[in-house]
Amino acid sequence: MTTPPPPPGPSFAVKDVPSALMRQTLLDRELVRPIDRPVMRLLPWLNVVVLGGRSIIDRGREAVGPVVDELRAVMSEHRLLILTGPGIRARHVLSVGLDLGLPTGVLAGLASTEAEQNGHLVAALLAAEGVSYLQHTTIAHQLAVHLSASRAVVSNGYPPYGLYEFPPEVGKIPPHRTDSGAFLIADAYGAARAVYAKDVDGVFTSDPAVEGGTPEFISRVSVAELLGMNLATLPVDLMVLELMARAKHVREIQIVNGLVPGNIAKALRGEHVGTIIHA
Amino acid sequence: MAGPGSATSLESLLMKRSLGDHELMAASDAAPDYAILPDASVVKIGGQSLIDRGRTAVYPVVEELVEIKRTHQILIGTGGGTRARHVYSVAAELGLPTGVLTEVGAAVAGQNAKMLGCLMARYGVPVVGHEAFGALPLYLSECRAAIFPGMPPYDMWQQVPAEGVLPPYRTDAGCYLVAEVYGCRSMIFVKDEDGLYTANPKTDPSATLIPRITVDELIALDLPDVIVERPLLDLMRRARHVTSVQVVNGLKPGLITRALAGEHVGTIISTA
Repeated sequence: MTTPPPPPGPSFAVKDVPSALMRQTLLDRELVRPIDRPVMRLLPWLNVVVLGGRSIIDRGREAVGPVVDELRAVMSEHRLLILTGPGIRARHVLSVGLDLGLPTGVLAGLASTEAEQNGHLVAALLAAEGVSYLQHTTIAHQLAVHLSASRAVVSNGYPPYGLYEFPPEVGKIPPHRTDSGAFLIADAYGAARAVYAKDVDGVFTSDPAVEGGTPEFISRVSVAELLGMNLATLPVDLMVLELMARAKHVREIQIVNGLVPGNIAKALRGEHVGTIIHA
Repeated sequence: MAGPGSATSLESLLMKRSLGDHELMAASDAAPDYAILPDASVVKIGGQSLIDRGRTAVYPVVEELVEIKRTHQILIGTGGGTRARHVYSVAAELGLPTGVLTEVGAAVAGQNAKMLGCLMARYGVPVVGHEAFGALPLYLSECRAAIFPGMPPYDMWQQVPAEGVLPPYRTDAGCYLVAEVYGCRSMIFVKDEDGLYTANPKTDPSATLIPRITVDELIALDLPDVIVERPLLDLMRRARHVTSVQVVNGLKPGLITRALAGEHVGTIISTA
């Protein structure tokens, strides 16, 4: 690394550590640019699978059983980080918390707990295969060793924002949830794939449950196109699309119907069985 | 039939719609806002601006904080500073992602909290990590102050910036979000300048002080360099409790005290 120029004033020199960013606010866009480098993929073999709370886990044995069997079968081919959503219990705890006047940061922690509980359920079903539930801090610091010891691990889809959750633009619902949490960790590790298992085939032009009409299936779409369509409902959180636009590695995600046997495994093999959203 | 925004309609939307549903988000806006620690203030002590300067800067600030806590409840957050800048530049040059930079940067704010904690220990002030924030009310009622590391706990889940790899949400955002989530009465950023300038006053002699500005005005100005993290401004736009912050010069004795008393002694940035 090149040595930075000497400090301009006498008062600064004493306790600085020389670096390319020394004495910067880190907020001047021109000054921070010189340190930009291509970002490496830490775990290029990682596959992230998201199991929706409401769409998969809340459906109980009928849905979870086959999904777990499928994950068990596909583990030999792919190393998996399985992330779970919170489902209906999060809606209940949000409802109570909102009624009590609690802030978004507290609500985020409460909802996250439910996603964690669903993770414990899925991990327990796969325990005999050597799969464990890992806390956020282990995912952030020891994922490599765990996925070297086991072909798959389970964690909480919610990111560890908790009290530090952003207030949302409108209202008080925590904006970083399972879908965006999973995307953030997938991109940070430079994962090979991110597959979202839901209870619909993918993205449709309209939601028949809400709007009626005849929905059209969208099999492949860019983030910009999808944002331009301004659809009333999407099977993934809108924030994922915003994050994709800035992502360093994960340039596409696939949303598949996890209730259709074989879909998750096919998507992990790179087959196109749902909606692919690309940056 | 319950009208929009009523508890009943919010409850049914919560059960039926996706959490990103526009009607649901709008209905949640009408929920009440309960301030958890309304008597506390968050005071952020800059890393590069104060703590890196050693005792000439830090001792007087500690004395002032000890005096302040006789009459105010204060949560004291810490910044990173020159070591964070060093580790960011090493990690970025190695091609490591934003999440790794966030983790290693957070440790620097932690060291600063530890050092400040040693200086304030004899006054009963503890250092509290975010995982132990449940005990903050006790610390505040018993000794009226607690120190916390300012970096938010986003770790590998930190959002990536539009350009480069520097973590966009650092200690300014972390300290501010603590003030906002607890519904604190004020948020003071203690730095080594009199407030916000039109440019960085350390490198640009033509920079002039901006004593008061709104968040929208500041975003519109699109200054090349600013004294607070830019994403803080977006967070403030969405605030439900802390709609104004003040940046004061901690190298000038008495300004933190006066800012907490509601005086305008630095730059006030507010949402309106």
